[in-house]
Amino acid sequence: MLSIQNLTVAVDTKTILNGLTLAVPNGEVHAIMGPNGAGKSTLGYALAGRPNYSVTGGTATFNGEDLLDKGVHERAAAGLYLSFQYPLEIPGVPALTFLRTALNAQRKLRGEDEVSAPDFLRRVREVAKSLKIDMDMLKRPLNVGFSGGEKKRMEVLQMAMLEPKFLILDETDSGLDIDALKVVSDGVNALRSSDRGMLVITHYQRLLDHIKPDKVHVLVAGRIVKSGGPELALELEARGYDEYLGVAA
Amino acid sequence: MTQLMPLDLFDQSSYPNRRVEEWKYSDLSRALREIPQKDKVINVDLVSRFAAQGFAVFTVRNGNYDGLNEALAASNGRLWIRHLDEGVTGPVVGHQGRAVLQVADDQSLTVFETYEGQGAYAAHTELGISLGQNSGFIRIVVLDEPLNALSIRRSTIDTKPGAKVHQAVFSAGAQFSRFETHLNHAGHGAEVTLDGAYLLKGKAHFDLTTRVTHGEVDGVTSQTIRGLVKDQATAVFQGRILVERGADGTDARMRHQALILNDGAHIRAKPELEIYADDVQCAHGNTIGALDEEAMFFCQARGMDEATARGLLTHAFVMPVADAIPDEVLKAAVLDFLEHEAEDYHAV
Repeated sequence: MLSIQNLTVAVDTKTILNGLTLAVPNGEVHAIMGPNGAGKSTLGYALAGRPNYSVTGGTATFNGEDLLDKGVHERAAAGLYLSFQYPLEIPGVPALTFLRTALNAQRKLRGEDEVSAPDFLRRVREVAKSLKIDMDMLKRPLNVGFSGGEKKRMEVLQMAMLEPKFLILDETDSGLDIDALKVVSDGVNALRSSDRGMLVITHYQRLLDHIKPDKVHVLVAGRIVKSGGPELALELEARGYDEYLGVAA
Repeated sequence: MTQLMPLDLFDQSSYPNRRVEEWKYSDLSRALREIPQKDKVINVDLVSRFAAQGFAVFTVRNGNYDGLNEALAASNGRLWIRHLDEGVTGPVVGHQGRAVLQVADDQSLTVFETYEGQGAYAAHTELGISLGQNSGFIRIVVLDEPLNALSIRRSTIDTKPGAKVHQAVFSAGAQFSRFETHLNHAGHGAEVTLDGAYLLKGKAHFDLTTRVTHGEVDGVTSQTIRGLVKDQATAVFQGRILVERGADGTDARMRHQALILNDGAHIRAKPELEIYADDVQCAHGNTIGALDEEAMFFCQARGMDEATARGLLTHAFVMPVADAIPDEVLKAAVLDFLEHEAEDYHAV
């Protein structure tokens, strides 16, 4: 269970999240929707521990452990995975090298053995095939020269390999055409399980046709102003966020 | 032939001082306050040639190049020129040597040039390389000298029409280390790559100086220089490209990118383009910055601790220079060197 209580986050000195409270039980998929500037991406970054995103109040725990106490890499090793809206290009580091370094770093921190090269390659091949990723692409520097769709598929490949316990998908649908959206969504859906929670951050209802949420939350001006079932997303799509803007003020 | 400024390690009056613009950032007179002692001559063991992955090995011990051309003749076009300098305890010893290599028309030569040593010494070597028409020359240089060595390595390369050159220099620096290349496009249509990468730590000083003259039409020069400095190390990059009147069709590009990993480390960069021809394409870029914080966060968010992320990204930063090496054996040798050097960048 990801449990956030009254979270306040400032970026540099500007307060962005302003008393956000949210709980996502293991096995559930929750969507966060909201207008530009509401603080959606900030929530993901703050949970992942990005520098300059300072938590000025409130708590965030994952399966009872304080997340905010931990370093960025420790949160990842604890099972948190933030899928970036704009995955970074890492020139000079082949995708396979990046992934294996990350996987073994996490395992080491958890006191587990490193994955051997043959085992790693076998598993990557399987996952890559299901995501229609060519092995040659994995030998190229991570995300360098990749299309928007390829970058997002790489994100899903990393999720599948790292096997996190909780996923935060930050606007995973941005920059995807319809076919790529389907491949990526199928990849994410394959990771749904009773012991894994997900937080899907999106502007549009479209993504939620593919990744069906258990709950939808509306984030406006740094706090959740309404929560509901999947039907709330359809309502928002039809009516926009106007009626909530007054609520938050 | 391209000429180097006269320099004699054993004659202090020949030392350039800071008023000589070209040596402003590498002050030899200050680095070498006392004239080094002449070391006893050690004969180069000409027998110590063996084929290691197709390379003939020639050892230049303490600046002695005797026999280099015989070694080249017997080399099948692949030659490892291994420079070894030995210091002694007591006054600093100096080694000085000079050699000329020729690559005939339509021939190609691949040289792996390493510089190693032991103890404190002052070394000054010069290599003159003269290339024939349509010849190919690959020169991969690894400077891995002791941190208390003083080392000045200078070379000239003169091309002929249609010659192809790929030079890449990799350096870990020394107390005072300078690698100079003066390349003259003496024939039309030569294609030249002059790359370099440096990884400096401690109090190392490394100066990479290149002087490229386009004297003929349709010459191509491409330079990618990547660098990392930490601790109190100092890097100097001086790159000049001169396009003479009438050298139309010249395409020359120089790019120097470096990372300063902590306060106290320095980089002095001086890229220069001097163009007297009309129909040319020239560009130079120079960027010096810190490690990309977004990339650091991305790596850490995937589970790498700070040291691992830093090691991965710094190693990656100099990789493009190694990746471009057109010889797989030499690329592997350079990757080993870089991996070893990059380990020191895990923590700053």
